[in-house]
Amino acid sequence: MNTKVKHWLEDETIDIFLGYKIVDGHPLPHCFTKERIEELEDLIVGQARYSLEKIATHITTVNPDIKIGMLARDCNQRALNVLFIWNQLNPENIETININCCPSNLKEHGDCSYLEPETAGVYKKQVGVDNNLQPEDVEKHDQPQRLTRWMYEFQKCIKCYGCRNICPVCFCTECSLEHKELVDPGTLPPEIPIFHLVRAVHMAGRCIDCGLCEDACPVDIPLRLLYRKVNEIVVNVFDYQTGASAQQSPFNILGDTVTLEPKPLESVETQN
Amino acid sequence: MQCKIVPSVCSYCGTGCGILFEVIDGKINSTLPLKTHPVNEGKLCIKGWNLHEHVNSFMRLKKPLVKTSGRFITTEWDEAIGLTADRFSEIIQKYGPDSVGVLVSAKLTNEENYLAQKFARAVIGTNNVDHCARL
Repeated sequence: MNTKVKHWLEDETIDIFLGYKIVDGHPLPHCFTKERIEELEDLIVGQARYSLEKIATHITTVNPDIKIGMLARDCNQRALNVLFIWNQLNPENIETININCCPSNLKEHGDCSYLEPETAGVYKKQVGVDNNLQPEDVEKHDQPQRLTRWMYEFQKCIKCYGCRNICPVCFCTECSLEHKELVDPGTLPPEIPIFHLVRAVHMAGRCIDCGLCEDACPVDIPLRLLYRKVNEIVVNVFDYQTGASAQQSPFNILGDTVTLEPKPLESVETQN
Repeated sequence: MQCKIVPSVCSYCGTGCGILFEVIDGKINSTLPLKTHPVNEGKLCIKGWNLHEHVNSFMRLKKPLVKTSGRFITTEWDEAIGLTADRFSEIIQKYGPDSVGVLVSAKLTNEENYLAQKFARAVIGTNNVDHCARL
């Protein structure tokens, strides 16, 4: 891994490399450059997971032509695909070194902070939310029960915007969550359930199920479960698996062709 | 092109959450929670998440201001501190040291708080020292 990155930096395939390094005992994201190539000896995969692609997006905003290399778990890769689709990053400017990751619907194996307690360190305690809740598990309960539970979860919200801020695929300069017509400002908890539902709707076709939002939520709202449900609908209606490829998304309206084509609905067919 | 990720401690309250500053070309671009920090374990409140805005705010005072005939005039630290010291001496001479109180804060470090109480007791000569957390 280190040798490959070294070659990349030396032959200028990339200008900077985003990886991890231990700083003061913490595994932190680190920017490796050609000028300080000796630092590459400290390059690690890192047990704590940060959104390197979000850092890459920020760097690209300042310096659009810079070539960035980065370590990529599956979630990073899915996020990159979404960011390519939405023109936030240019695939030609990104090189990745793929590393093992956490389990998801797309891939089962993993070795990161999302795993069971024996492989996770102190940095990932299993408190509150079971991070691997699936929509099917919850749908066993009846609707009023589910509503009560969701309202209970939502009213815990302290409106820190952590779920949005940490999200690798949240890049809008103007956010609906801060729009006073949509979400009434100045109240705590924020207007529920609309605050969380606005975000959930925006996660359709965007959420790559990385679980960083749930990690960052100070009050343990099972956000990953909510967005999983939203994306389940996207799969059922558009047959689109978010982040699986960098091909155009059915939600992408930029470009010459309209791509929002739902699968034929059965009810429409019977009417005809 | 320079990009640094700098670990730090949130300065908003006394909790001491671990944070990371994303510094791009010398400017703090965003704030992230430090995932492995024992205090906040990768979580932050809204104030912590927006620390960079407070650092980059155009309303931030970078130089001391002295109110001269009703208007705030930018000045140098030496002059501002000198002026404050003179006014304090005047007040203490006229009304006694107990006319002055020192209010410290959870945002300061232990050492700074110690210095502040030392300043109150040894320099000003009052026991009027209090803390914003003792509401």
